[in-house]
Amino acid sequence: MADKILTKHFGLENLFKIDVYMKNDGYSAVKKALSGMKPDEILEEVKAANLRGRGGAGFPAGVKWGFVPKDSEKSKYLCVNADEGEPGTFKDRYILNHNPHLLIEGIIIASYCVGINTAFIYIRGEYEAVALRLEDAISAAYENGYLGDDILGTGFKLDVYVHRGAGAYICGEETALLESLEGKRGNPRLKPPFPASVGLFDCPTVINNVETISNIPSIIINGADWFCKMGLPKDGGTRIFGVSGMVKNPGIFELPVGMSLKKIIVEHAGGMKEGKTLKAVIPGGMSAPILKADEIEINMDFDALVEAKSMLGSAAIIVIDQDTSMLDVLKVITKFYSHESCGQCTPCRIGNAWINKIVKRIAEGGGKREDLDKIIQLANNMMGKTLCPLGDAAAMPILSIIQKFRDELESYIPLGN
Amino acid sequence: MMKIFIDERELDVAPGMTILKAAESVGIKIPHLCYHKAFLPEGTCRMCLVEIEGLPKLELACSTQVRDGMKISTKSERVIEARKGVLECLLAEHPIDCPICDKAGECKLQDYYDEYGLFESEFNEKKERREKKIEIGKNLIHDQERCILCRRCVRFLREITKTEELGVFQRGIHTEVSTYEGIPVDNNYSGNLAEICPVGAITDKDFRFKTRSWFLQSRESICPLCSRGCNIYIDSHTGFSRFSVPKRVYRIKTRENQMINGYWICDKGRYEYAYLDQERLEEIIVNDSLDSGSWPEITVFLAGELRRLFKMKRSSRIGLIIQSWLSNEELFLVDKIFRNDLNVEKIHFLDPPEEQADDFLLTSERSPNRRGAKELGFELQSADWDKFFADIELLLVFASPFWNDTANEPLKAALDKINTKVLLSSHVQEVNSAFDIVLPMSLIAERAGSLTNVVGSVQSFYPALDAPGDCKPAWKFLVELSRKIAMNNDFYGQFSSPESIRKVMNKEISFFREEQ
Repeated sequence: MADKILTKHFGLENLFKIDVYMKNDGYSAVKKALSGMKPDEILEEVKAANLRGRGGAGFPAGVKWGFVPKDSEKSKYLCVNADEGEPGTFKDRYILNHNPHLLIEGIIIASYCVGINTAFIYIRGEYEAVALRLEDAISAAYENGYLGDDILGTGFKLDVYVHRGAGAYICGEETALLESLEGKRGNPRLKPPFPASVGLFDCPTVINNVETISNIPSIIINGADWFCKMGLPKDGGTRIFGVSGMVKNPGIFELPVGMSLKKIIVEHAGGMKEGKTLKAVIPGGMSAPILKADEIEINMDFDALVEAKSMLGSAAIIVIDQDTSMLDVLKVITKFYSHESCGQCTPCRIGNAWINKIVKRIAEGGGKREDLDKIIQLANNMMGKTLCPLGDAAAMPILSIIQKFRDELESYIPLGN
Repeated sequence: MMKIFIDERELDVAPGMTILKAAESVGIKIPHLCYHKAFLPEGTCRMCLVEIEGLPKLELACSTQVRDGMKISTKSERVIEARKGVLECLLAEHPIDCPICDKAGECKLQDYYDEYGLFESEFNEKKERREKKIEIGKNLIHDQERCILCRRCVRFLREITKTEELGVFQRGIHTEVSTYEGIPVDNNYSGNLAEICPVGAITDKDFRFKTRSWFLQSRESICPLCSRGCNIYIDSHTGFSRFSVPKRVYRIKTRENQMINGYWICDKGRYEYAYLDQERLEEIIVNDSLDSGSWPEITVFLAGELRRLFKMKRSSRIGLIIQSWLSNEELFLVDKIFRNDLNVEKIHFLDPPEEQADDFLLTSERSPNRRGAKELGFELQSADWDKFFADIELLLVFASPFWNDTANEPLKAALDKINTKVLLSSHVQEVNSAFDIVLPMSLIAERAGSLTNVVGSVQSFYPALDAPGDCKPAWKFLVELSRKIAMNNDFYGQFSSPESIRKVMNKEISFFREEQ
């Protein structure tokens, strides 16, 4: 239990209720931060903890907070990204469902640190029950004086609102999330300006993932050194790895950053299901470039995966077995991105649909020799050339699958075509 | 100032400038579809990507601001590949129905394909089918298959008219621009949508299938339908040798002028151009005892009559009805010849009544030069007709193109009692028959001169169309008349063009001198 931060108390009955949470040292970090620490001290602690964003991009949270202008006359906002749309990812849902007060505690400290009085939790529309539980938790926090006008008598004021999305992957992209939260169509914004200076309602805004914010209370209680030691010096803490696919024991596993992928699959997720052999692993949510079975002896941290030309992303591990056709995998991926492209910019809107049409045709037996090269070209047209990261998110898995499983994919193309 | 390099060309630019603007300032064109200088950059078409030394990705020229020492390449292999990639995608899902598309010939997609593409399509899939003829407004047809989703139309309605009739619907390849629940685009600036559409997705009902853009000649003019003086292009058919066309003018387009109308014109100015061709008076009509007459003959006759009345000290029996469709130069001549030389006092303006202004460009004054007339010292309030017509022996009327609508009953009734009635008119109109002589006049679109708009800006205009038949510009007629009256030949002898008149006017009248 000692090596866990976020799921430490998972399994306690009614952990989502404030009294149970408080009995287990809940809200002690808020007390410590608000009564004994200056905002700058908190910022330094979070920076020193090397807490990298858990949503996928891995941007250091402390640095992000530091970008918010201190002297702005405008209101500042915190937006918690609970849209959790990356296929394979289901970690935030567990935190929100089992330990909502941990997130709320993190929100209070982050807001106090940056000088924010209003926070929004943008939650995936499908998480209806979770949203209701979260709202109950927020009400309880108000009742107990952790939210509202004068938190714990310190004069600090914070209101927290839950906003449910309407079901679009793109709204997990931070600027599309802001647009959606403002009541508009969820299209990503052109950057710069970045949200830290021009964000929600054109005000300075911090956007963090649920898991990122949920790590804050433990950093306050135990300090940055402890946090770094939990993971790696440059990439502190733990990650909640969500393992799905052909393993004996799928689920979430909170493990130190830098844990071996092989170990996660074999030891924690119980290895492959009876009679199944490993073919490939998607290590960080569907957007992450695929790893072949012989590439899984790798440490699960941002830098190691970049070196392996993949990415840690949301740490969602999708395990694929030998009986699964890579064409089917490709079909699912291309259909998803084609469906979820916001349609704003050309290479993504048409490129994804075009790729999807080709893959569908191959799957229906009408593949042609030149098809795979065309897909590569279209994916390269998207890579690094779209307005938001969705283009890259689509291109990366597609390119890696074709590169690593070309022989298999070609076998689906009728000879002579 | 900052030093930057575009395609190895060194240039100094102001900080805050975008790469696109910096490049355009030295004539380097960077292709773009969604960007329009009237709006904030949107960065969605991805056509303007350029390479910046030291940066891993291609960056947007439309939104990226220059930095000191920046080295930009707009023609590198990577840039060209990216442009081709965008074009390839756009064309893959485009109907390519250029042979029946009204935008053909002035379509950005066509132009860029010509410049960067000319590649064979590798799209072997089924294209998306979409609606091809949706009436999104009184004058507009939307073809969703041709739409490239640049969203200029949506932004125009959001940022300029603030009426927001169009929005973006659906997602991914199904994304489309449409009205909200069928409520049409309904504002006085809707025609601009067809013009800013870079492709043939929004076409003008008025222009659809009427002609091809390459048959048209665009010439500069000024819109005379209100006193804003919006700068326009008049697109006319030059007369293609193998067939005759039913009219000359096929459309009016905006001409950018940041001081007057920005990038836009109103729908009144855009669509009410039929008067340029319809019911034009092209020949001299003589309804009186004179059984024939040419311009010189009639000019001599009229000059003689005016001179006679003046000599007999009967200037009070001369009446002049004019309107503010006359240019500054023409009004200056009227002032000189009639008020100054002939002592005529009865000079009355017959302008259309004021109408509702909108809160953008359209003014309440429905003639172009009331301000100019005011600055030249004319009284513009309506006259007492009974007083005006009492004892009138000679009436000279300069009619506006819409004279039929403005000529009222008392005026028509009074005409019978007048001895000599001469009308200068651009159009065949019912009231014309009440005059002894009707002289064909050219329109503002057909002559040169200057106009003073509602806020006092003096703008020159030049012929955008050839005057039909025997039509003559008013200034020319007035100069010729003055020479036949022969009271001040030294003065009038110097006038050979509106410019020469303006030179003298600028010297004499302080307002025009200052406006120079």
